[in-house]
Amino acid sequence: MRRISVRQTGLAALAVLGAWAFPAAAQTPVKGGTLAGIVQPEPPILMLALNQQGPTIYVAGKIYQSLLTYEFDLKPRPVLAKSWTMSPDGLAYTFDLQENVKWHDGKPFTAGDVVFSVDVFLRKMHPRARVTIDRYIASVTALSPVKVEFKLKEPFGPFLSLFEVSTLPMVPKHVYDGTDFATNPANQTPIGTGPFKFKEWRKGSHIHLVRNEEYWKPGMPYLDELYFRVIPDAASRGVAFERGDVQVLRGGDVDNVDIRRLRGISGVETTTKGWEMYSPLSFMMMNMRKPPFDNLKVRQAAMHALDKSFIQRTIFFGLAKVANGPIASTTLFHDASIKPYAFDVALAKKLAAESGVDLSKTPVKILAFPYGAQWDRLTEYVKQALEQVGFKVSIEPTDAGGWAKRVGDWDFDISFNFTYQYGDPALGVARHYLSSNIVKGSPFANNQGYSNPKVDDLLRQAASAVKAEDRAKLYAEAQRILVEEVANGYLVELEFPTLWRSNVKNLVQTAIGLNESFEDVWIAK
Amino acid sequence: MSFVRFLAGRLVKAVIVVLAIAALNFVLVRLAPGDPASVLAGEAGATDPKFVDELRARFGLDKPVWEQLLIYLGQVVRLDLGFSYRNQVPVIALIGERLPATLLLMTSGFLFSLVAGVGLGVLAARARFLERGRFLDSVVMTIALVFYATPLFWLALMLVILFSVQLNWLPAFGMESVGANLTGVSRAVDIARHLVLPTLALGFFFMAVYVRLTRAAMLEVMNQDYVRTALAKGLSPREVLRKHVLRNALLPIVTFAGVQLGQMAGGAVLVETVFAWPGVGRLMFDALLQRDYQLLLGVFLITSGTVVVFNLLTDIVYLFVDPRIRVEGRAR
Amino acid sequence: MTSFWRRFSRNAGAVIGLAVLAVVILVALFASLMFSTSPWQMVGPPLLLPFEEQGFALGTDMLGRDIAAGLAHGARVSLLVGVVSTGCAVVIGVAFGTLAGYFGGAVEHALMSVTEFFQTIPQLAMAVVLVAIFTPTLESIVIAIALVSWPPVARLVRAEVLSLREREFVEAAIVLGRPTRAIIFGEILPNAISPVIVAASLIVATAILTEAALSFLGLGDRNMMSWGFMVGAARTMLREAPWLTVLPGLAILVTVLAVNLVGEGLNDALNPRLKERGD
Repeated sequence: MRRISVRQTGLAALAVLGAWAFPAAAQTPVKGGTLAGIVQPEPPILMLALNQQGPTIYVAGKIYQSLLTYEFDLKPRPVLAKSWTMSPDGLAYTFDLQENVKWHDGKPFTAGDVVFSVDVFLRKMHPRARVTIDRYIASVTALSPVKVEFKLKEPFGPFLSLFEVSTLPMVPKHVYDGTDFATNPANQTPIGTGPFKFKEWRKGSHIHLVRNEEYWKPGMPYLDELYFRVIPDAASRGVAFERGDVQVLRGGDVDNVDIRRLRGISGVETTTKGWEMYSPLSFMMMNMRKPPFDNLKVRQAAMHALDKSFIQRTIFFGLAKVANGPIASTTLFHDASIKPYAFDVALAKKLAAESGVDLSKTPVKILAFPYGAQWDRLTEYVKQALEQVGFKVSIEPTDAGGWAKRVGDWDFDISFNFTYQYGDPALGVARHYLSSNIVKGSPFANNQGYSNPKVDDLLRQAASAVKAEDRAKLYAEAQRILVEEVANGYLVELEFPTLWRSNVKNLVQTAIGLNESFEDVWIAK
Repeated sequence: MSFVRFLAGRLVKAVIVVLAIAALNFVLVRLAPGDPASVLAGEAGATDPKFVDELRARFGLDKPVWEQLLIYLGQVVRLDLGFSYRNQVPVIALIGERLPATLLLMTSGFLFSLVAGVGLGVLAARARFLERGRFLDSVVMTIALVFYATPLFWLALMLVILFSVQLNWLPAFGMESVGANLTGVSRAVDIARHLVLPTLALGFFFMAVYVRLTRAAMLEVMNQDYVRTALAKGLSPREVLRKHVLRNALLPIVTFAGVQLGQMAGGAVLVETVFAWPGVGRLMFDALLQRDYQLLLGVFLITSGTVVVFNLLTDIVYLFVDPRIRVEGRAR
Repeated sequence: MTSFWRRFSRNAGAVIGLAVLAVVILVALFASLMFSTSPWQMVGPPLLLPFEEQGFALGTDMLGRDIAAGLAHGARVSLLVGVVSTGCAVVIGVAFGTLAGYFGGAVEHALMSVTEFFQTIPQLAMAVVLVAIFTPTLESIVIAIALVSWPPVARLVRAEVLSLREREFVEAAIVLGRPTRAIIFGEILPNAISPVIVAASLIVATAILTEAALSFLGLGDRNMMSWGFMVGAARTMLREAPWLTVLPGLAILVTVLAVNLVGEGLNDALNPRLKERGD
């Protein structure tokens, strides 16, 4: 079902398709030009080590860099690290850093900055990564100004997947050391090593970045300026692209239905690649702490009641793929042999009857997921579908603040969520199922209250195994159990299409897509 | 002397009202489920409950609510609106950045509705008074009725579709052409072009109100004895219209202008949403959804404060427009 | 009554308005009979154009829900919100206005200060905050709209009561020692009610618009199909499927227009003094 509309992905594709896609065969990048995109919603702050919302990464990914980035197949590729080695026991990793890298204020970037960033700043401030750093990283040491060593407390399979720019962004030691990180005035004028420098942020209007003339890759970046415009209304964002006010649309900028129309415009190209690192997967959380969802058959009935391909086709307008389990097909260790729950109303009714639960006496409420029109449509659809098999359902509206609070406090019957997988199940998936993660306060933990010691074991072993085959086996087993026990109701893998005007080149080339630094993006005249 | 006393009294009252608003809003926003820490942690994908607690402590949200209220009111008295949790900058700076855009939008919306509304209202009343052009009167009143009934946000969407997308005459959103680096006159022209549609969207409803008000007030005055007398004395209808009718019909118009600001502030939220206008209305809405308490309260305080000041101004204008209103014992 | 109707019907617009409103009310009353399935039910292929397929006269939305059914059920919500919230606003406003106007002095000062206070807060902005805080349900929307709409009623009633209180028949009742309650409910309110009715018709219109605006901002009741919700839900598809936005928008426009026209008719009929100015 996935539309293959990728026209320029990496050099290999270029070589093959070059003649057809670009009549001018081997095009050499030209310097200059301005690229405008949309930042939506407007980020609160651009200091990437303090805030990692999607829009923040999109903008700040041009300013800040990490040691690595990732190919479409999630293999690491060098950024600030030139090369790296792992000790045979998997307990130590050594990175050789690029030379002659400068911060935007002219000071040199060294191994000391890496140590400070990971061991001090991020260990304290990063809402997601600090848990991993604390659990696995014993020490970070500068062996020389361009060599740094990470020592682990125990082997950690996905260690090399940690260096995505929003997970471990490098921050300048000379600016932050000894200050209050949260209130440091430099947070308003971010300083990184990336190809673009922060110029101006007109709140509510736009963010302006300009070329870093002293970027460490000679000749780059090609573009002079980047603008990110703030446009709160989805319909207006579609109009902006249509009129050419912006040349790039990021997935989620416009409603999926608009995508269909916009990509029909001549001179517009599109791809759904560039999200492999995140591979957002949506699921229905059913609170297992109370009736009726404490009953496995009721959960299975609910899953059989939902027509996943209707959701894929009509609610997400085809820009999604039916999910068969907790691990997305675009990421590592996905088990393709698992079958999703079939849409079967009769079976759903049968399971509901077998469960012994009187559904008419245990009404359930769907806590709406307040992130846009398609989630509203999904909520409305699920209400209808569940009612058809005998559930009594009502919708509780809420806004972002209320949603995060109530899911974090386990105060819901049903709700939806979609979460990033961060390239490895140990980073993005296990958090929803480990019983040790049944903690209040975060909407991204094990909020539904799933607990199975067997699964706990499997996930732990898989995280610390170093060999890929071992990890694959353990995750396959875990996936099977999670699906069978409906640890969450897996719905669809979301596809976020990127749209751009075809004179913009090299936009989506890695697994982090538009969050890349744009160092080699250029505009054909 | 009495004028000064009147003014002082109103000022004291205004300050009390503003403080009461601050307190009421403070209590209100705390009743909402969720707080800025949970929102921030939620957006960040934090899986660490300790992180949320740390945020709460940093924002001072771990103190008892009454203590937070006292701290907040203490700040307000010192004209300090506090710190935005989310944006990590002082609230006053955030509002200051956005206020000019909103003021521009509201001023132009206000002027447009006032001028067009009063103009059309006079036209309609005049047509009726001079006993010709009943048709004109009907047309004007129909227009007014329709705009009076049109949902503002829907009108905004329709304007975008018609004038920006179909006809491509005017920019669809934003306040200026980003990246064009215009200066001086060309920049002013650019901003003016961006201003047209938001102004129309915001102003049409209020224009309709002014049309109806003006016409009704003028027709009412036209029936007064002194107007009839003036006509009987042989003054030309035009002269009567100018000298007596318009002047005396001003009062309800001024009254409405006084309350219009508050109503327009609500409309601004909608208009700023549709047109991506970088103003305070949208800032308020976002702050509300993100539970950025201090920012939300700050916006409310500034808006209500402006309305209070505006009411004060209206009161003063009253004194000049209608000398019949005595300063003391004036009951509104 | 006949003279009321005669005066009312002299205003052609008012009669048309009344006719339109009657149709809307009938549709609202019989929505479930005309469309037996829930308006949320996906009954057809998505995004059918109006008149494209029999059975879906006004087309379907992005989930294949019948627009006509949505509009019919939406009429119910819009009218319900409009009437109930206006009812609440009138009750609050009449109570405040009557007490202030009748008793005067400190009571009046206190009550009118509260009224003024509520008028100072921007209306729609306040409604948005209230609904967001108490989570958007039909009740919270009604309450929020009522809370921001009553002050004009209070001021109007107070002014009426102030002037009625000076009238002979009221003074006579006071001298005769009739209980205050009887005077207020028996003498004053019945005579103050006609301007209130006219004002109420305007509040109904505004309330319908406010509900639509709240829904547009995503603050509607998610269990009720309303016109504002339909516009809000479809606005991301404005270019793709404009009828999804245009039809409910027109429904709001026509209904509010009709209410306003009726309000004007009522004004003419209930305030015959003003009538003579030649409308």
